[in-house]
Order: sequence, then structure tokens, then C-alpha cells
Amino acid sequence: MRFEFNEDQAALASALDQIMLSAEAGWKTAENWQRFDWSQDLDRTLEENGYYDCASEETLGPLAAAAMVYRLNSLPVAVESAASALLRPFCAPDLPRPIAVIDGEADSAIRFLPVARSLIHIGKQDVRCALLPAGAVVPSESLFAYPMGVLGDVPLEWSSVDVDAEATRNRWRVAVAAEIAGSLKGGLEAVLAHVRDRHQFGRPLGSFQAIQHRLAEAAVTIEASYLLVLKAAQTGDPVDAATALGYVQEATTTVVYDFHQFMGAMGLTLEHPLHRWTYRAKLLRSSLGGAQLNQALIAKRRWGSR
Amino acid sequence: MDFEWTEKDRAFRARVRDFLDRELPENWDEIRRHGPGSREQTEFSLKFCPKLAAAGLLVPHWPAEWGGGGLSNWEHFILGEEMWAAGEPRGAQYMNVNWIGPTLMRFGSDEQRRRYVSQMAAGKAIWCQGFSEPNAGSDLAALRTRATPDGDDYVVNGSKIWTSYAGLAEHCFLLARTSGKAGDKSGITIFLVPMDTPGIDVRSIPSLIGHGDIHETFFTDVRIPASARLGAEGEAWSIINYSLANERVGIPRYELSARVLEGMVNELIVRGAFSDTDVLARAGAAAAACEAARLLVYRVVDQLANGKDPGTDANIARVAVAKADHAVSDFGLDFLPDTYSGGDHHAHLAHHERAIVAGIAAGAAEIQLGIIARRHLMLPREAC
Repeated sequence: MRFEFNEDQAALASALDQIMLSAEAGWKTAENWQRFDWSQDLDRTLEENGYYDCASEETLGPLAAAAMVYRLNSLPVAVESAASALLRPFCAPDLPRPIAVIDGEADSAIRFLPVARSLIHIGKQDVRCALLPAGAVVPSESLFAYPMGVLGDVPLEWSSVDVDAEATRNRWRVAVAAEIAGSLKGGLEAVLAHVRDRHQFGRPLGSFQAIQHRLAEAAVTIEASYLLVLKAAQTGDPVDAATALGYVQEATTTVVYDFHQFMGAMGLTLEHPLHRWTYRAKLLRSSLGGAQLNQALIAKRRWGSR
Repeated sequence: MDFEWTEKDRAFRARVRDFLDRELPENWDEIRRHGPGSREQTEFSLKFCPKLAAAGLLVPHWPAEWGGGGLSNWEHFILGEEMWAAGEPRGAQYMNVNWIGPTLMRFGSDEQRRRYVSQMAAGKAIWCQGFSEPNAGSDLAALRTRATPDGDDYVVNGSKIWTSYAGLAEHCFLLARTSGKAGDKSGITIFLVPMDTPGIDVRSIPSLIGHGDIHETFFTDVRIPASARLGAEGEAWSIINYSLANERVGIPRYELSARVLEGMVNELIVRGAFSDTDVLARAGAAAAACEAARLLVYRVVDQLANGKDPGTDANIARVAVAKADHAVSDFGLDFLPDTYSGGDHHAHLAHHERAIVAGIAAGAAEIQLGIIARRHLMLPREAC
């Protein structure tokens, strides 16, 4: 049992930190007040420098990839990292990215679809992928802080991928859990900055015990989520995957509520980035069947259902 | 990072489990039902701990010169998990193993070490911890029990409350004020006091958490020699901070919680009542809470093993541990309510009694949250 990164993982994390400080990773209001800010520049930097392939490196592995997804999701800008870093290396290493993922039926808008160059479909029994030709996607209006879209009428050429569907879905569970945990972490940092600065009743908001305790609880949840994600990424164990996702999905409700409470009216505006993190988390709370189903899955996988 | 156990750790855990399988008597469930501070469990510990010591499993992490095996923080922690999950057959003696012994080794006089440490390593010493007072619980520095120098002696007056194990302890690790007013940390001193010293009176307080676990301890003109002082006058605060460094994450309660949850689920399966998504989801959530606590605690153990100060990671772990206990306890109350009245579900009852303490013992969860807020999240101090 070791909780420190190895040398290569630490080097990756610190290089990533530098990139995350760059202007393209920072907060700015989006064009036409759209709710997301897709950072093509940041995405390209990460791709060109091989970050999305780190799970295949022996000394980095899925654990480093999951840690990276967590970190990137704490940014106010959106980049597609979860599928690229945690599915692509094991499914289709040459698949052009960004990648959108369909889990089960494509019955609602899919995140990243408008910026994606390819698509992975995780079905009940099989996994397929397809390139997305021009005109294949119709962007959707959405509450959530992602570029969202639906598939149009252009037929796609699917090719099947020789991987186990359930194992892939488990990888996706870990990836989504990393995204939620990272988003909540980003939100926490923003709220902390706010409650340290903002004075009401002659004192900083962050000096009120009611606020301190709830933010401390959020921090406990987020730190736990992060470790559950890393463990699940390393072990590849189906129980660990369900645990990581079920735990963080369930936590999302309280944490997101608290963040918005403490940010007050400022957090309701598109001039503040809080919604970027909270609305990603709100969407992902329902993915892969949602919080309750994933929690039930923990139990089903541990004990069966009888 | 690596979430797998090493072979060495696995082998050690197997050794501890083998020992427990072999040495715990058939009626152990009835004995443990009374709680770690009970007469039954304390008396049991005085037979059990010497056997543990003989097997090299009482103080495996202590240095060899004090009867230990020089093993690491991980083995120490694995031992704690297995013991707690088995119902803590060491009773009060887990405190000696975890922190009283190591504190005496480091700060005790030669005489104190000779007198007390070897007895602890032999598994024959029951101590209690004289910390909390009626007006000094979470705010420990507010303690008022006073030790006044008088010739070569000190005379102690005051009272302690909620003292675990005091009823049967032979010695008390006592905090008393030698100078300053309530709130002044630099005026507090540690004394190692035999409980049969004239003027000490112990009253058991009936409680929710097992028999004989909580006491009020009165000190009336208790005369103790200066040689009973541990360290210098006013040194208590810094010594305790050292002592409790290994205790930061507290008892590995999640281990028992996880095993009790396992038992609850098995019971539901036998009843054919483990199929609704709601039941499964709650069981899964409780299991996840245990796993979350476990990982946060292990992060701290790893830091301790590497000689690093875990800082607020320990406070974070403590909060998660309390939540896990309650998640399991609530699951049982919701889906197996009949097992909490009558019957023979000792494990559910014992766990429920422990769970209610989880957020209070060794520093309330709200104190932990305050520390996390100020030192980890860097939020400004609360206004008074």
C-alpha cells in the first residue's frame, strides 16, 4: 500500500500543473454567453504532448490517467479527457479524438459530440466505434456545461472493437467518477476563494461555522472520491469501479447544493464559472444509470441479489 | 501509488487472524457484548494480552529493547483493524500498545520506564486516560484539576469525567494544571497516578455504550510524589501532541463496520430480502462509505510509515470514519430493525453501541471539521 506517486507519475502531474496554469486553461466568459467553454487550444496541447496516451505507459498506467482526468476537470474550461485517456488506450488507440461516448441507447443529447471526431458506443454485449463525418452531429441547446449534441441522419460506419463490453463500461465508470470528483474539486476551490474574500455582517463568509463545516464535509467527500477513483483505476476491479462512481454520484447532490448556497447570487450568473463545475456534476450524476443504480451495483457485485 | 497489500502485510494479517481464531473462546460474543471497558472484557484482556505478547503480537511495532518486534506502522495498523473488528479483545490495553507505552519510552524517567513499560509489553497493565472534565471536553485546555506542589509531592484536587476504563484501571495517565488558568495550555502537566492512591474515588456512569465504560473520577487531596510527573511541568500539551500522532486517525472502526455490514447482508439474503434496488443501494452506499474511510485512513498510515506529518489528512479521515459507522448502523436499523431488540444479534448491538461514539470519542467530528476548515481549506478563524 503506497499513497505517493512514483517518479514518472509525479513528473506527469507537475508538467500538467504547468499546462493548467496557461491562459487557454483559465476562466473566461464564453462567446454568446454559452454555458461551456470548449478549449481547443488546451486540448491540442495535451494531445500533441501525448498526455492522453499515458495509461499505456507502464510506469504511468490507468491510475495516472485517472488522476489527470480528475485534475483537468477541475478547470473551468472543458476538454475531453475521460474517454481519450481511460477508454481509447484500451479500445482503439488510433481512434481520432476528441471522442464522445454513448453508453447504452443514444436517447438523449451526448456531451462532447459537437467537437468530437469519433464515437465509442458501449452496448450491452459489444463495443463499437465510428468516425464522425461532417454533418453527422446536430448541436443541442443544453443546461449543462458541455458542448452537447445528437446524431443526425448521416449514417455512420461502425466497426466493432474486440474488447469486453462490461469491462469497458467499468472503465467508463471510473472515468466518469474521475470527471465528477474533479468537477467538484474545481467548484470547491472557486467557492473557497469566494468565502475567503466576500464579507457580510462585517466578516468573511468563510468565518461562519455553518459554512466552514459544510465545506469541510465537501472536502472530505472529494478527497475520498479521488482516492476511490485512483484505486478503481489501478485495480480494474468491478466492485471498485461501482464504488467510485456510486459514491461520488450520491455525494454530488449535497455538495452542489452547498456550493451554490455559499456563492449566492453570484453563482447564478454566467459571469462566474461556478456553473461550469456544478452543471457538469449534475449531468454526470445521472450517467451510467445514475447514483442509485451504481450504489446498488456495488452491492450486487459484492453479494449478488437474492 | 499502489493499493495492493504487500506479501509481508498479508502474511501478518493472516497471522493475527489465525491467532484470534485459535485464542478467542466460544463465548467471546457474549463477553464482547459488554463493551471494551466492561469488567468482563477487562478481565478477559488480562488473560488474552499475555498470550498475544507471547506470540509477538501485542507490541510488534515497538522497538526490540522494549519487547517489540520493530515492525512498521502498517503492521501496527493491521493489528488494530483485526483487533477492533474482533471486538477489541485487548480491552483497555490497546491504549498502552498504541500510545501510552511509546510515550513513556520517549518521555519517561528510567524509573517510570522500568516500572511501567515492561508490564505493558507483558499484557498485564490497565490504564485509564484522565483527560476530560465537566467543563473541558472538546476544549481540553480548559481543564481545572489542579496539582499543587507541596514539598516533594503534588496534591491533586479536581475531577475527571467520561473516563473510559477508570473502574478497573490500576493507573491513570492524568492531565492536571500546575499553573495558569483554565484555557492556558502551558500550565498543564502529566502525572502517572496509581488508582489506589488515597483520595481517588471512581463512580461508574450508566451509559449507552456498554457496561462500565464511562466514569466520573474525583481527586480529593490526592498526594502523589514528584517522581510521578511525566516530563517537566507545563509540558503536557507538547507531549500529548507527540503521543497522539499515531492515534490521529483513531480506532479503525470501518473494519468492524464493513464486517458487520457483511453480516447484515447475509441475514437479509437468508430472509430473501436482498433484492429491492433500494435495499441494494443502501447496502452499496454503506459499503462505499466504509471503503472511503478506509482509503483516507490508509493515506495517513502511509504518511506515518514514511515519517511524514499527515497534518489535516488525519482529521479528514476521522470524519469519514464516523460517517461510515453511522451508514452501516442506519442500514441495520432500517432493514433489520427486529435484530436490535432481544434476540442474539450481538454483533449488531455491539456495533450500534460503538457507532454512536464514533463522532464523539477522541475529539468530536465538529472539532475535526473546524480544523479541516481552518488548516486545510485555509478559511478564516471563526469570530467569537
